[in-house]
Parts: sequence; C-alpha cells; structure tokens
Amino acid sequence: MNARGLTTDVLLGIVPIALAIAVWQAISSFGYAPSTLLPPPGLVFARLAQQLLTGTFQQAIGVTLFRLFAGFSIAVILGVGIGLAAAASPAANAVVRPIVRVLAPLPKVALYPALLLLLGFGHESKITLVAADALFPILLSTYYGASMVEQKLIWSAMAAGTPRRQILFKVVLPAAVPSILTGCRIGLVISCIVVFLAEMITSTEGLGHLLVTAARTFQAVDMFVPLITISLLGLILNGLLQGLRAWLLRGFPEV
Amino acid sequence: MNMARALVSRLAPMLACLGLLGIWQVAALILNTDSFPTAIEALRAVPSILGDKESLLNIGASLRRMAIAFSAALVVSIPLGLTMGRSRLVASFFNPLLMITYPVPKAALMPIIMLWLGVGDLAKMLVIFLGVSLPVIYHSFQGAKAVEEKMLWSGAAMGLNALQRMIRIVLPAALPEILTGCRTGLVLALITMVTSEMIARQSGAGNILFNSLDMGQYDIVYAMIIIIGAMGIGIDAAFENLRVRLVRWSEPGFEIPLSFA
Repeated sequence: MNARGLTTDVLLGIVPIALAIAVWQAISSFGYAPSTLLPPPGLVFARLAQQLLTGTFQQAIGVTLFRLFAGFSIAVILGVGIGLAAAASPAANAVVRPIVRVLAPLPKVALYPALLLLLGFGHESKITLVAADALFPILLSTYYGASMVEQKLIWSAMAAGTPRRQILFKVVLPAAVPSILTGCRIGLVISCIVVFLAEMITSTEGLGHLLVTAARTFQAVDMFVPLITISLLGLILNGLLQGLRAWLLRGFPEV
Repeated sequence: MNMARALVSRLAPMLACLGLLGIWQVAALILNTDSFPTAIEALRAVPSILGDKESLLNIGASLRRMAIAFSAALVVSIPLGLTMGRSRLVASFFNPLLMITYPVPKAALMPIIMLWLGVGDLAKMLVIFLGVSLPVIYHSFQGAKAVEEKMLWSGAAMGLNALQRMIRIVLPAALPEILTGCRTGLVLALITMVTSEMIARQSGAGNILFNSLDMGQYDIVYAMIIIIGAMGIGIDAAFENLRVRLVRWSEPGFEIPLSFA
C-alpha cells in the first residue's frame, strides 16, 4: 500500500515537469517563438551534455563550486559558533541579538558594490557576499535550536557531573543538530543563488559569467545551459545534505 | 526596573546601528582609501539623493514594482500552498516541480525574460513575483499540512463545505506559518528588486547604485547602500509589527525565528 502510494506520488510529480517540457517543445516547434528567443528543449539539453564534457565549462563549474563552498563553510562556522554563544551566554546574547536584528533584513546584494571596492573583483568579494547571505539563516536556526534544548537534559548532565563547557558540546550542540541542519539547507539554497548573482554582476569566470556572456551575444541556448547547471548543482548539494542529515540523525525519529 | 529594561530592548537595535556605523567610520579612517568613504561622508550624501526628484522617482518606481509583484505573488501562492497542504494529490503534483525550481536564482532569469518581455516593468515584476512565490507557497503548504484534523472534522460536522473550511479553519490556523513565509518573501523581493534593476538598468534604486559604482561616485554608492538597507530594515520592522498584531493569539513567549526560505 505504502509503496504503491509512493509510486503514484512519483508519477504524479513527473506529470507537471513533463508537461512543462512538452509545452516548451510545442511553443518552439509550432513556431510561436523563434528559436533565438526560446530554443527547443532538445537543443538545450544536447548543448548541456556537450558543454559538460568541455574543459572550460568544467572549469567554470569548479570556480563557482569553490566560491560556493568557501562562503558556505565560513557561514556555517560563524553561524553555528555565534548562534551557540548567543544561546549559552546572556552577555553574548545582549550584543548579538540587536546586531542580528539590524543586519538580517538588510538586502546583502546592496553591499556587493562596497565589497567590490574593498576586496576587489576576485574570489574574496564573492565569497564574502555568499557568507554574509548564508550566515543569518544558519545563525538563527542554531540559536533557536540551542535555546529550545530540553532543560531536563542539561540538568541530567549537570547531575552527572559534566563541566559546563562540556555540556555545550555534548548536550546542547547535538540536541540542536536537527535545527542547525534545517538552517544549513536554507543557507545552501541561498548560497547557490547568491554566488550565481555575484558572478553575473561582475566576474571574469564562473557559471554566472557564462550566462552574462551568452546574454550579451544573444545566444539563448547558452543562456539556458548555466541556469540548468546551477539548478542541478543546487539539487545535488541539497541531496547530499539530506544524506548527511539522515546519517547524522540515524536512529532518531524524524522531527 | 521593568520599564528600564523595556526601554533598553527598544533602543538596542538603534544602538547596534550606531555601533555598526561607528565601526565603519573607524575602519574607513584607518584604511583611508578613495573607494571607502567614511560613514559620515556617506550619510552626508543621503539627503542629496533623497532631495533629488529623479532619484526619488527611481526609488518610487522600485517600491511600486515590488509592491505589485509581492501582492500578486501572495494572491497566487497562498491559495496554492493551502490546497497543497490539504490535498495529497495536489501536493505530489506540484512538489517536485517546486523542488527543482527552488534553487534556480530567480534574478538570473532576468536576461532570458528580458528577451521576451523587454527591459520594462513587466520583466522585473515577473522576476520578483517568481522570487516571492516559492517561500510563500512552501510555508503555506507546511502550515496547512499541520492543521489539526479534529478541527476540520468538527467544521464539517457543523455543515461547513470544503471552501468554507479552507477559509474559516485552515487559513487562520496556518496564518502564523504563512506570515513567516511572507517575511522571507519580503526579504527576497528586496534582493530580487535590486538585482533585477542592476541587470536591466533602466530605472530604480538598483540602477542608481550600480550606475554610480560604474561612474566612480563612491559617496553615492555608499549612500544608496544605506538607503536600500534602511528600506529593508524599515519594511521588515513594519511587517513584523503587522504580523505580531495578526497572530498575537498564537504567540509563544519568545520571538519566532526569522526564517529565510
């Protein structure tokens, strides 16, 4: 029953995607849109397959992935660190909370010109922007995860004679992991989006740069290829994170 | 004592603002380069922008586009999300499509949409619309899914039909979650607005920002950053105010996490 329900779900889910591709194909093959504006899907996917094998394209993916990971890792380290500190110490909380309230709703893309002027056009400005955008979801979910830890668990650890510092790493941190991972997932999607945008604005390499060059020369096919690539990367990374979550939380019922 | 504490917590964000500006000022004085003016210089350029009629028209155009696209996105996404939350069929129909489109940078669609719709308002509003829709759909979906079955059964037993149950029971019950999604959507709308205007430079706040960057008017760049930042903080604060009023009944003793997607 359950397996059958799952198959129906999967089949149903494929329908709209297939439908979208069919409509796309129909529009271009019935001539409603010239293929310079909307190339047929077959052409786009063929181009994608062909591009994936070329060195320059792989290099572009590599550059984008490097920036994405560097920014995301900085965001995870800072976010989890600051979030835990704010949950554990009232003094840190008093400092962090108002700053976060001011900075979190600020559109970080607007800071990008300043980062460009300060850090140059290379990796640094992009990595900083990715880190700044991914930081707040991770920080906030760490903070809420850590401050929702059941008091009983902490009391038990104290009763068992665990020193305060160790309680933070042995009780609070593991208990906050599900929430932290949710924040990381949001941060990851944001990182994908932001790294691409930053590369579109100013860059000499990377997937976003490929899109902009294609747009300047009106190569519609080449505009779709980097877009599909970044979405695929997002999906794959999301899958990996999901796998990590399943492994880290093995034996726990899904919250 | 209590009042003093309330006062401090009200003033804390202001203090944080001042602190950040102070850090900026000191950093600029230490670095002392042309491309990084001090906070005071940047603040001094703010009135010159706000006093200029053309800049005001630009910023107004940005806000208008954002407001229209945001409202349109709410009108479409909330019913869709709620229906997805109540019907497994609808949910499994739309879920994979949404999952695939979530990590697509919406502003990156701008060059392609520009090919179809031109550089005008329509292309930018479509991009903002797409950016706002996904988090709102997602949160409405989660909210509607978590509605207690018993309430719906009671509603049905009292003779409410499906549509009435949706409006009278599911919508209010999912409201806190929906509003969390709206807040995320609002932040995304601002980001998409700035980026779309940067790609299709024709009018708007993003246009001023990046044009002044290209022309090397650094004090304008930083003043625009301050203005856009203040817009973000102001809109967010206004929305938070509205949210608290609407869902006071569901409020736990602590602040609801500011979620982003």
